[in-house]
Formats: sequence, structure tokens, C-alpha cells
Amino acid sequence: MTQDNRSGRPQGRPSPGDSRLSRVEAQLRGPFLLFFVSAVIWLLVASVLGLVSAQLLRGVSGEVFTYGHVSAAQHNLFIYGWAFNAFFAINLWLTSQLGRFELRNAWLVSLGAIIWNVALTYGALSIFAGDLNGFSLLEMPRTVGPVLAVAFLLSAFWPIVAYAQRPTGHSFASQWFVVGASFVFPLAYLLAQLLVLWNPASGVVQAIAHSWFIQNLLLLWLGGSALAAVYYFLPKVLGRNITGYYLASVAFWTFFLFAGWTGTASLLGSPIPVWVQSVGVVGSAMFLVSVIITAINFHGTLSTQSGWSLAWNSTTLRFISFGAVAFTLYGVLNAIFSFRGFNAVVRFTSFSAGQEQLLTYAFASMVIFGAAYFILPRLTGSLWPSAKLVHLHFWATAIGALGSISASLAVGWQSGKQLADPAVSYAQVLTASAGLASASLLFAILLLVGHVAFALNAFGMILKSSAPAAEGRHD
Amino acid sequence: MTNPKLLIAGVFLTVALPFGALLLSSQVQLGDLAPAPEEEGGALYPATVPGLAVQGRDVYVSLGCIACHTQQVRPSGQGSDIARGYGDRPSVARDYVLQSHVLLGDRRIGPDLANYGARVAPAPKGAQTEPEKAATITKSLAAVHAAIHHGNAFAFLYEADAKGDFAPERADALAAYLLSLRQDYSSPEAKLKK
Repeated sequence: MTQDNRSGRPQGRPSPGDSRLSRVEAQLRGPFLLFFVSAVIWLLVASVLGLVSAQLLRGVSGEVFTYGHVSAAQHNLFIYGWAFNAFFAINLWLTSQLGRFELRNAWLVSLGAIIWNVALTYGALSIFAGDLNGFSLLEMPRTVGPVLAVAFLLSAFWPIVAYAQRPTGHSFASQWFVVGASFVFPLAYLLAQLLVLWNPASGVVQAIAHSWFIQNLLLLWLGGSALAAVYYFLPKVLGRNITGYYLASVAFWTFFLFAGWTGTASLLGSPIPVWVQSVGVVGSAMFLVSVIITAINFHGTLSTQSGWSLAWNSTTLRFISFGAVAFTLYGVLNAIFSFRGFNAVVRFTSFSAGQEQLLTYAFASMVIFGAAYFILPRLTGSLWPSAKLVHLHFWATAIGALGSISASLAVGWQSGKQLADPAVSYAQVLTASAGLASASLLFAILLLVGHVAFALNAFGMILKSSAPAAEGRHD
Repeated sequence: MTNPKLLIAGVFLTVALPFGALLLSSQVQLGDLAPAPEEEGGALYPATVPGLAVQGRDVYVSLGCIACHTQQVRPSGQGSDIARGYGDRPSVARDYVLQSHVLLGDRRIGPDLANYGARVAPAPKGAQTEPEKAATITKSLAAVHAAIHHGNAFAFLYEADAKGDFAPERADALAAYLLSLRQDYSSPEAKLKK
């Protein structure tokens, strides 16, 4: 089974001014751009907040900009603002491509986009105003939760509809992942809202519910959506089959089966039943099955017929194969550091932030960038304004991501080792890691530079795009 | 894989299984936990906290303190929590049953606070006279307020309001909350070594 170009429609960049959009694409152009522009704006806001929070660790503060507020807002805006909006857009596009789905009710999607972003803005402002909760990624006031859930259904339920209505008999791996991700998130989000904020479970059960939710959000929704994009773009751009594609269904089922069990590994040593912690450790190890299979699929495809060098020369694949490698690294690292001995060292340090960044930035965000380089020229009918900015974007984000993730991991490991000695105080640990901490500030600046380059290029292209939304090539 | 109903049903099961196995069964296991006496017929622990401390807890949440401070002591095999003096015993689920929203935290940029009250104001050994008690309270409050300042970063909690009244109500509530944080009692799951 191939996912290569099936109908001879234009690939990659169309010639400037050419509005050879398929009708399917013309219908989702509006909502796609709405999501995408919001995503990039939130990405810029989150990168600036990332810089601010790095500075705040050095002792600058105020009532509104406490470190707790800034880091919570940064985290939420990066995930719910950037990654969610971007995947709403990309999943919608993937769905329409693979299932020939015609989005007749584009206004519903746009309504979802508006509700999502308005609610998110309110939630972020509330965090700064001091109206926040103590659970990461559930910090926004609880009234925001149901609104976001409704907006999610309006924006992201379409892949499921499209899958049920698809005209062809067979299906692609990308479709499974998009359908699964779109189905899991609202369920997990509403249950977590209920058990953690609205009708709190007894004591530490809240913490277990929270860790379960975080894993559903990061792995199943973000990870699942990003895997769908890799499964689509890799064969599409290379023009060849996925190596060992018959394994993809095993990858899908093991991914969904085990991801939900990995969460409690982040609570090792916490006052929760030990069996719950052990289940998390086992889950993280079992999750390796899906990591290995996706590695065979992705790296195998890239390793045949000089795939890596082809990928390097395609902007889309350069980002996407970066992400594919990052996902494999994440899975391995996650399994290793779920074991009690290693986990005891790095627990409560910046290590887990580094792990999360490996998943949400080096994997998911890089895949989003790659997908954007493929989709946006088609939807806008114009070229990326500046090749230099594309290069700047890649190098700044690749080096920035590698640098800041390695810095978080290294600082986490180093300070964890030091803290194992009870005589070492927190002040001493902070001093010892000061060098690496200022390096991570530098990498945060580099990431911001990359994001500004991307935003300038993307906004420039959208603004000068000439393809009218209503007209389209009828195929 | 081609049948949408089967796909959705399968995905639903993969979400429902961990939910049922991890969440529902730990709710069954832990849902009925209640404060327990240290010894037969003794006072119940965890003790209910004063109203000011409940208000202080809201201040703690609203300032985002949880970004840097955890409230959990790991067992001695895992990490140096007990050796560092964060507690004399590991935290257990029963310690949190009275909290409407648990604030375990997952990042330590500053020290753990599960036993902050017990560290600043240890339980007195033997009987104290009234003036001694008053002196202890003054001393521990001064220590807590000094810690809340974090150098100068949280000095805004102590600033005079617009009318010029000196009203550090939030700081007082926060101090009461921090002093109420103590796991220095024996729990059926984790006895203190005498």
C-alpha cells in the first residue's frame, strides 16, 4: 500500500499565483489558516514567556510575574496554544487528503477555533491574575475546561466523521492515529477535569488522575497526531513505501494500548500505592514496543536508497525526520528513566522538563514545522518568501532544541546526583549548574529567533497569497 | 482497521482500561482513608487546620508556589529526602485525605515543604510555660515570614495597600498555612521511629 501521489495533483510548491487548489483543500483553507495563524502567535508568546521565566529564576519578580505564573502560562500556551492549534489544522488537512473528506461545515470549525483561542486567552490571563490551579496543564480556571472541550469537539471531531464516511475501502496508518488521537483527548480531558478540579477524588487519587491525563495529552494526542503526520509525509515526499508498513497496525495498537499506563511512572516515590507506581514502570517499558516499530518504519524508510540525504534536501522532511529521530530517543529515555534507580536521581529536577521538551518540541513541534512547509504553499498558492529565513528557522530551532533539551537533561542529572548527598543545599546546586542554566537562556533566545523567522516567512506568505478562498480547481 | 466502529471501540478500550485499573481501583483502595489516631484513643491525624491556614493555602496556589516546591517525602530508598531532613518518615496517602486539592508538586527548585511547619516549629519536648509558648510562636513566625520574602522577590505581599494601611493579610494567611504543614505524627502506614 502506498501513500504516494495518487491523482497527479500538484506536489509541494505550486508555481506562484497558481490557485490549483482542489475543492477539498479550498473548503478547509479558511479554518486551516485561522488555526495556523493562532498557533504561530501563541508560539511567539510562549517563546517570549520562556525567556521571561528563565530570567525569573535569577530572582526578578513581581506580583503578576511570579515564576509560578510565568512558567504555568508558558507551558499552557505552548501546549494548548501552539501545538493544539497546529494539530487541529494539520489533522484536518490530513483527513481531507486521505479520506477525500469535504468539509461542508467549515464555519463550525472556525467557530471552534475562535472559542478555543478566546477561552485560552482568558485562561492565560487568569493565570497571571492569580486564578490558577496547582496541576500542571490543568492550571487554567476550571470554568475554562468545558469550554475548551466543546471547542475541541467543534475543531477536531471531523477526522472521526471523515473516517466513518470515507469512500474507499482501505485506510492509512495516518488516519488511525488521527482518529485515535481526536477521540482520546476530549474523553481524558473531561474525566481529568471532573476528577481533579470539579469533583476532586480523594487525596492523592487526584495526582494519579493527573498523571494519567498528562500522558494521554502528551503521548496520545500530541504524539499520536505527530506520528500521523510522519506516517503521511515520509512516504509522500520520498515517493516510496514505508519499510515494514505491515507492522504499522501493531505500532498503532501498542501505542494506544501502553501509552495510557505510562503516566504513573512520573509518580515514583510519591505517596501513592506502590503497585500503581510499578504499573507505570512496566507501561513505560512496554511502550518501547511501539517506539521500536515506528523506528523500523521511519528509520528503515529513510535508510534505504539514500533516503537520509533526500530527506536532508527537502525542507519538509528535514524537519520531519528530525522529529522521527526525537520520538525514538524520547521512548528509549522514557523507558530507562522510569526505572526506580535512575528515576530516584532525576525526580523533581529539570530532567523531566527536558524529557517533555523532547516529546513536545523536538518531536511534535518539528513535525508541525515540516508539515507547514508542505501544506502552506499548497493552500496559499504562493512560495515561501525567503529561503534564508527557512534556513535560519531550521538551524535556530534544531540547535536551540538540542541545546536546551541537553541542558535540561544534563542539569537535571547533575543536580540530582548532587542532591543525593544530603549535605548539599539547594543554593549550592543552583550555583553548580549556573553555567548550564545561562546556556539554556542562550538556547531559549535561539529558539525565539527561529520562531520569529518562521512567523515572518509564514505570515508574509499568507498575506501575499493570491488564491481566493471560494474558487478552487474542481477535481 | 478498516471498520470505524471497531477502531473507535478499540481506542476506547485502551483509554478505559488504564482508567479503570489505575484510577477506579486506587479510588476503591484509597477513597475511604480517613484521619487515624496515632495510638489507641489518641488525637486524629492529619489534624484539621485552622481557617487562616485554609486561606493561606489559596494564597499558596494563587502565587504559583507549586512551580518550585513539592510537598512529598520519598521513602529512604529513593532519593535523599529523609536524610535531608524533609521528614522523619515517608509521606503516605493518608496524610493528604483532608486536602481538597493535593499540592504534591513535581519540581523542586526550592526545598520540599511537606514538613515545613514541623521544621520551623518542632513539637515541644515536655511541658512549656505560657511565656515560653509565646516566645516560640513569635520566633517561628519570624522565621516563616523571612522565608516567604525569598530575598526580596515576594516583598509585595508585605507592601502597604493604597490607603496606606499596613495589611499583610495574605502573608499572615500564607505563614499560617506553611506552619500547618506537618507530617510529624505516626500514621498506621508509616510509624515514626521513637
